[in-house]
Parts: sequence; C-alpha cells; structure tokens
Amino acid sequence: MTARRDPWLLRGPGALGGVSLALGEQVGGLVVLFARIIARLLPPRIDRYELVRNLHRMGVKSLPIVVVTALFVGAIMVIQAAPLVTRFNAREIVGWGAGFATLREVGPLLIALMFSGRVGANNTAELGTMTVTSQIDALRALAIDPIAYLVLPRVISMIVMLFVLTVIGDIVAIGGAIVAAKALLDVDPRSFLNSLFVLLNEWDLLTGLIKSLLFGAMIALTSCHFGLSVKGGAPGVGKAVNAAVVAAASGIFILDYFSSFILG
Amino acid sequence: MSALATTGEAVLDVVRDVKDILTMARRTVRVVLRGRVERKAVVEQMHEIGNRSVFFITVTMGFIGMILVFQSALQALRIVPDLTILGSTYGEILIRDIGASIGGMMLATRVGAGIAAEIGSMVVTEQVDALRMCSADPVEYLVAPRFVASVIMTFCLLIWACFVAYITGMLTAHMVFDVNYQTFANFMLVDRGDVIIGLTKCLAYGAAIPIVSAQRGLATFGGSEGVGAATTSAVVSSSLAVIVLQFIISAIGYLIFPG
Amino acid sequence: MSIRFEHVRKAFGPKEVLKDVGFEVGDGECFFIIGASGVGKSVLIKHLIGLLRPDGGSIYLDGEEVSRLSEKAFYPVRMKCAMVFQNSTLFDSMTCAQNVALPLRKHKNLAMKDALVEAQRRLETVHMGEFADAFPPELGDGMQKRVAIARALTLDPEYVLFDEPTTSLDPVSARRVDQMIRELCDKVGVTSIVVSHDLASIFGIADRIAMLYKGTVRMLGTPEDFRTTDDPVVQQFITGQADGPMEV
Repeated sequence: MTARRDPWLLRGPGALGGVSLALGEQVGGLVVLFARIIARLLPPRIDRYELVRNLHRMGVKSLPIVVVTALFVGAIMVIQAAPLVTRFNAREIVGWGAGFATLREVGPLLIALMFSGRVGANNTAELGTMTVTSQIDALRALAIDPIAYLVLPRVISMIVMLFVLTVIGDIVAIGGAIVAAKALLDVDPRSFLNSLFVLLNEWDLLTGLIKSLLFGAMIALTSCHFGLSVKGGAPGVGKAVNAAVVAAASGIFILDYFSSFILG
Repeated sequence: MSALATTGEAVLDVVRDVKDILTMARRTVRVVLRGRVERKAVVEQMHEIGNRSVFFITVTMGFIGMILVFQSALQALRIVPDLTILGSTYGEILIRDIGASIGGMMLATRVGAGIAAEIGSMVVTEQVDALRMCSADPVEYLVAPRFVASVIMTFCLLIWACFVAYITGMLTAHMVFDVNYQTFANFMLVDRGDVIIGLTKCLAYGAAIPIVSAQRGLATFGGSEGVGAATTSAVVSSSLAVIVLQFIISAIGYLIFPG
Repeated sequence: MSIRFEHVRKAFGPKEVLKDVGFEVGDGECFFIIGASGVGKSVLIKHLIGLLRPDGGSIYLDGEEVSRLSEKAFYPVRMKCAMVFQNSTLFDSMTCAQNVALPLRKHKNLAMKDALVEAQRRLETVHMGEFADAFPPELGDGMQKRVAIARALTLDPEYVLFDEPTTSLDPVSARRVDQMIRELCDKVGVTSIVVSHDLASIFGIADRIAMLYKGTVRMLGTPEDFRTTDDPVVQQFITGQADGPMEV
C-alpha cells in the first residue's frame, strides 16, 4: 500500500491536525498519570526507602549546578540593570531592581529549568531504561504497583527538592548580585540590601516560592510520563529525554504566565 | 582531608570537561575552515534544528514577553506611576540580552538534547564505530554539519525570538496597562552597542550548543542508560554554557558600551 | 488446580500472533511450550499474569477466568503465579539481596532488616549467598538468572512461568537451571510452565510439551510422543534442521 500524498491545500491542515492529535495524546497521558498519582496519595502509601533515596539523590546532585546558576543569575540581573542605573543615576534602588526580577521571576524560572535539565532528564532516562529492559513489567509481575513504588516517591522528592533548591538559589543569587553591584557599580552591599528589603514585600518572595512548587510538579509529571512511555530501545530513551525536557520547559513557561496573572 | 579530595576531584572533572569541549571545538572549526563540510548534511541539520524548534521558541518566547512586561510594569508602577519608558527599556533589554539568552537556554534544551540523543544512539548502536572503520571522521560527518547549521539557524531563531517576545510584550502592555502602541514602540534607547552585544550572543550560543552536546553524544557508553545520561549531561552543560557565555559577553559588553 | 487456555486469540496491529490456542496444564507438571522464535510463546505466557490481554478466548487459572480482570484484581493472581523473565530483569539500582527482599517487604510485611536476612537465606538455596551484596550488572547471565528465580519464589507461588530460562546461558549454567526447575516440580510441588527452544532442556526435564506453530498448538504430548511423531514440521524442529517444511 503506497502512501498517498495529499493535495497541497490539505497538507497544511493535515499537519496541523496531526500535531494537535499528538499534543492531545501527550497532554491526555499527563492528566491520566496525574490522576493515578493523586489516587495513591489518599491514603498515602509510600515506600520510605525509595523516598529518602530520591530526596537525597535529587537534592545533593543538583546543588552544585543550582548554586552556580544562581550566582550567575544574580550577577546578570545587576549587569542588566546597570545601564539603566547609570542612566538614571539610581544607585540606591539597584537592590530592588535586581532583586524583584530575581526573586519573583528569573530565579525560580532559571532554577526550575536547570533542575528540569539535571534531575528531570535524569529521571526520564532512568524510568525509560527500566521500561525498555522490562524492569517495570517485572515489578508488576511481583504484584508491586509501579506508580506507588517508583513514581510517587520521585514526584514528591522533585517537588520538595525544587522548593528547597529555589530557596537556596534565591539566597545565593542575591549574594551574586551584591558582589556584581559592588564590582561594577560600586554600590555598597548595605544600601543594596536596604533597597531590597524596603521596596519588596513578603508576597513577592512568596509568589516565587509558590511558582517553584508548581514548576516542580510540572517537571515531575512530564519526566515520569515520558520515561514510562518509552518505546524502542536505546534511541527511544534518547528521544524520550528530549521530549521530556521540551515538554517540561514549555509547561513551565505556560504555568509561569498563568500564575503571574493569578498571583499578581 | 576527604572534603579537600572531593572538591579537588570536582575541580579536576570540570577542567577535564572544559578541555574535552575545547578540543571538540578546535577539531570542528578546523574541519569547517578546510571547507570539508557536506552541504546536504548541513541543510538537513538546518531543517532539524530550525524547523523543529520554531514552534517551541515561538510559544516560550511569546509567554516570556508577556510575563516580563507584566512583571516590569507592575513593579514600575510601584515606584513611578508612568509607563512611558516601559517600551523603550523593554526593547533595549530584550535586544541586548534577554531575547538571545532565554531563547538560547530554550534552544540549549531542545537542540542540545536532540543532538546528544541522536549521536549517542549512533554510538551505542555501533554506527559511529562503523564510520571510523570506513576512515570517515565522526567530527567531519556528524559534528561539523550540525555546528554550521546551528550557528546559522540559532542566529535566525533568536532574532525571531526577540521579535515574538517584543510583539507579545507590546500587546500585553496595551491590553493590560493601556499603553499606546506608539509609546511602547520607541527605540531611542537602543543603540549600536546593544545590537552588537545581542548579535554576538546569538552567534556564541549557536556555536556553543552543538559543540557541547555533540561532545557529550560522542562520549556515550553503556546502552540505553548511557544514552539517557549523555542527553541529560548535554542539556545541563549546554544550558550552563549559555549562562556562562551570557555573563561573560554581558560583562564585557557593559565595559565597552556602558550606555 | 490447573491452568487452561481456550481458543485464545491475540494480534498486534495487523499481525495475528495467536490464532486459536488451547491446552491444559495439570497440577505439579513441568510443562514446556516450544516453537521457533517469534511464534508467540512469550506473548502467550504473559497473558497468565495480565501483562497482556487476549483479543478473544478464555484463560483459566485455578478455575478462575482471568483474561478480563483489572490490573488491581490481578495482584492476587500474580502472587500465586510468578514469572522469571528472559533477561532476568533484576533491578539494577539494588543489590541482589535487596532485589529478593523487595517482594518480602511489600507482601509479607517484613521490616527491611528481617527481609534482608530472609533474602540471604533464599539466595543460599540457589547457591548465590556470597553475592548478596553485589549489583546485578556485575554478575554473569547464569548468576543473574538464579537470583531472578530466588526473587520469583519469595511469594511461595504455586505456579512459576519461565521465559526462555536457558537461552543466553553456557551449557553448564543451563543444565544447572534445568535442575533447579525440575527440583521445584518434584520437591516443592510447583507447577512450572517453561517457554523454550533449548532442545537439551526440553528433552531433559519436560513432563509434557506443547508446540506452537502459526498461531495454534501444532502438537501436544510427552517428550516420547514428540520423538516418535510423523509430523514433518515437528520433526524438523526437534532435530534442528535448517531445511524442511517449516515456515519461519
């Protein structure tokens, strides 16, 4: 049976339809996984050893990269603000200028993206390899529920750890900003912190942290979904990791947008 | 003593990584300068990198534009209840930095993972060994086309990224904060330095991402687990490369063009 | 107490793998399912524990029809009927002892420490006691297989399914595994269903054999029946000839 080439007028809508179906399939899969995870939360049955192991792995392994990222983010925020500051001679409010962007937006966003790359991709690769080598089937054959045993501890670990790492990252980023402000603009650390604390309120910090919880959930869901639905051996695992990080990044941006509007 | 050893080991790992990447960069550039890159392969890769990323970039940069303008306006209103300079400052920051850098991070994720996964799978299924057996240099056949394609497409994609983010930002400013389109679209603050810095970043990211990811891909070993590890490493390293390059170029840029 | 397949059908897309499979396995038997590669042997036994569902027909385990059970309802079935996978499929991230301890912790509610002690004991019965703290990738295929068998036996099942247990093993390890399977049937009273194309195993330890060919059971009988049959397809398989009427 030879493939039929549609007339060129139909090709566009056809491709659009195909993309929509594929997108729908993935989104549907995510929703189903989400429902399954919630179902196993009440009553909560978690394997303690898996939970502790994952908390440790995901936290410790990402700490260096989050710290490095945060340092740079802080410094870059100051460099961004630098031309504006010199133009309007607004040295006193550098702290606020760099701070709000970091704590509300850029900090949680970039840390989440790095986390998605480091932990999310790793998780997809692991679950993908287990799927391809029938280890998931082996769990089912032992009458052990893979979602409860494997997925749930990982999801919880990722949400908790991203939150913790965002808090640490925020602190480090402010530190990096202080250093950059002193080096480039000769702004006193105390005046930097002063403008930060005076002009920003707790809600600004809180929005960033709430976002990190949402991002963590998004990364956890996408990485587990793509990992468990791998088909096709080693190349399939690579493709799944690719798809997972792209989906997580898209999801993070979309969530960021809606939460910005809702949280104000 | 063991804390020192661990830190020392980490530093040595980083040094070794950087060295591997620079070696790959040198080999790739050499191949390109000798003109030994196959045009068909480059075009294929341009399609893979460019066309496959357009949708992703458009969506993410569109949202970023909305978020940035929304947040900046909210904060600015706290200090100065006047949004006339919102558009011009936004335009300057976007062109000078954010458009290229956030777009660059997105591409690091999408393109970096793709290149590493593809090359990594080829390593694991022994296709790269087969290439070597035919006296073909993997760098010439696999890495160089992707490098050239990426430099070209990333440049185009990131310019498109700035454009998309600007449009959505302008729409947000108008619809949420009632800023006039003409007031927003004021480019008087954007000068030559901003454009140069922005374009330099586009080129730098376009060059860095394929080299880092291809290096990770070629260093794969160990079956499906190895491919997963290589892809992960490529995403992390490419993103980190973008951040470090952003910092370096921004810092140098500020020193040369402080305006 | 037995296993019965009736008119089982299974297709993957356009490819019909099982067309009309029916046979019965008696209590305590060492039953072999044989056939060429890709004929559907592994597909067939995966139906018994619900990793696959048939498109038609019925499957009975201990008198209970299991082909339409939900995933959750299959759990008690899986505790009665264990499976040893073709590639052993031990969990790479755990030691051998932890692999064996996992089902003990989950189903017999043992604490980690007690489970590890019990796991050590079970590993010793398959002569793998000294490798309790090794990780699966460090072990050879034959050793991984023995650990996988120990893990499958942790829930004291009445039925054990073996998917090509000797396929990637050297002759000595293969015979050891055969011996283990035979002992299970004779001494412990377990009903074993073994999928295999290893002629030495088939004629070494089988009580009865079913040969799958083109989606149905070509022949069902004892090893002696198979050796003395006139059927040319069966003869080609069991004498290992490259040429003959068999279409692969």
